[in-house]
Amino acid sequence: MYLKTLHLRQFRNYREQQVDFLAPKTILVGDNAQGKSNLLEAVELLATLRSHRAMRDRELVLDGETAGQIVATLQRETGITDLGITLRNTGRRTVALNSETLRRQLDFLGVMNAVQFSSLDLELVRGGPGQRRNWIDTLLTQLEPIYAYILQQYNTVLRQRNALLRQQNASSSGAEPQIDLAELAVWDSQLAAIGARVIRRRARVLDRLAPLAQSWHQAISNHTELLDVKYAPNVPLEQDDSAVVQQAFLDKLGQRAIAEQHQGTTLVGPHRDEIEFIINQTPARQYGSQGQQRTLVLSIKLAELKLIELVIGEPPLLLLDDVLAELDLNRQNKLLETIQDRFQTLITTTHLGAFDTQWLKSSQILTVESGHIKF
Amino acid sequence: MEAKQQVGLCSVCFHLSADPVCEICRSPSRDPDTVCVVADSRDVIALEKTREYKGKYHVLGGLISPMDGIGPDQLHISPLVRRISQQKIQEVILAISPSVEGDTTTLYVGQLLKPFTKVTRIAFGLPMGGDLEYADEVTLARALEGRRELE
Ligand SMILES: Nc1ncnc2c1ncn2[C@@H]1O[C@H](COP(=O)(O)OP(=O)(O)O)[C@@H](O)[C@H]1O
Ligand SMILES: [Mg+2]
Ligand SMILES: [Zn+2]
Repeated sequence: MYLKTLHLRQFRNYREQQVDFLAPKTILVGDNAQGKSNLLEAVELLATLRSHRAMRDRELVLDGETAGQIVATLQRETGITDLGITLRNTGRRTVALNSETLRRQLDFLGVMNAVQFSSLDLELVRGGPGQRRNWIDTLLTQLEPIYAYILQQYNTVLRQRNALLRQQNASSSGAEPQIDLAELAVWDSQLAAIGARVIRRRARVLDRLAPLAQSWHQAISNHTELLDVKYAPNVPLEQDDSAVVQQAFLDKLGQRAIAEQHQGTTLVGPHRDEIEFIINQTPARQYGSQGQQRTLVLSIKLAELKLIELVIGEPPLLLLDDVLAELDLNRQNKLLETIQDRFQTLITTTHLGAFDTQWLKSSQILTVESGHIKF
Repeated sequence: MEAKQQVGLCSVCFHLSADPVCEICRSPSRDPDTVCVVADSRDVIALEKTREYKGKYHVLGGLISPMDGIGPDQLHISPLVRRISQQKIQEVILAISPSVEGDTTTLYVGQLLKPFTKVTRIAFGLPMGGDLEYADEVTLARALEGRRELE
């Protein structure tokens, strides 16, 4: 797929900016804090309706304004689509395809696909499990848009159940414990039913991603390292069967019931899942060298590209935020070999010096300066 | 200044009503053996527009939502159970929007009523923005027709 144009209106530090992408590779060059990552963030939003760095839509809207807009034209094998997102300080979003506002945001997902790779992604290996859940959820949302809906439902049930546990917790510290077991039982079954869907989808996508990541890692490490990507669900997953997973979920809720009432929060479920990265039988998070961790993240990103291409049938966009200069020549070359001209790639950098001259020649180079783009 | 007419709730079904018992509950032409349970009076109005439903109603007055401090005790659930257990009701239709809170309320109420009568729920697909109120009449009529027994 090919992003032909992008128009930013009151988005981050852009007041009004049109960008036409004229080559499969675009390099955005500029000093720090000029708006390079902001532009990639706009593309990320078009693909996932999520931003990995904004907590609220208010942050995405140009300071002093109440609303902003991202508009794009995407070429796919099936035809050309216009995409539009309107972001508001209030948090209410509107999405449109071909100028028609959609009633469900869900229907916006899956139209455009992108893999984002930034220097922050080392956190995927080093950071806490929440980072890895977030990563797999973003990927799943692109592969199976309905997942966004399932996840949102799960989070709602979780918040509701936590609120109930907190109330009971507060009331039981008084004289009379007031526990509506019938109500809790309904929330339990809701949590288990929706949670099982989250767990099974995460398991399935990791099953497909793991061998791809493994072979990339092998290739980049010149066959010296074996990478295992392992799903470690909080609720044991013995069988990919909805009834079995739900039962295991309810069983574990039963085991942790007293602890949950004590702590006033839900201790069981996919919000506590972990994804383990293991290199040569050693957990990469604690023991991996910096080099191993970099190889790992690159392998995972390349695996994401491949998997999306396999599932969607078209190569997704690749967004490289400041990351190319940080890779050594071997890793850079592996990445560039893969990309070639098949994946439209947007690259940000502060200096063009780190790039191969051949590359520079075949790329469109845009200069970014305080919310303006110069051609 | 003209005094506003006080609109209260029907003492039987909790639908908005100026009288102690509402028009629908009083009507001799409505089927007394079927009760349709909804979250809000606006849902009664939406269902009435379909002209498809001939039974009576029961308005819960909201949905179970611990985050908003709403538990079963804050809703008109006990009077519903009393009503269904004391009369010969053939069928209770749960017509509650399929949000997380709506589903929870449906399951909770359904379990309380099942010992007394047949309990069905109306057929919904993925919610659009959520409420019965916004579903058009054709969709609602079809959902009512396609109702299934609650598991
Ligand atoms: N909502 C906003 N309104 C105006 N400026 C913003 C907004 N959000 C971020 N910025 C500005 O954007 C700049 C950061 O842009 P970014 O794309 O992250 O930089 P870089 O070019 O280094 O990648 C900062 O100067 C920041 O103040
Ligand atoms: Mg940046
Ligand atoms: Zn009435």
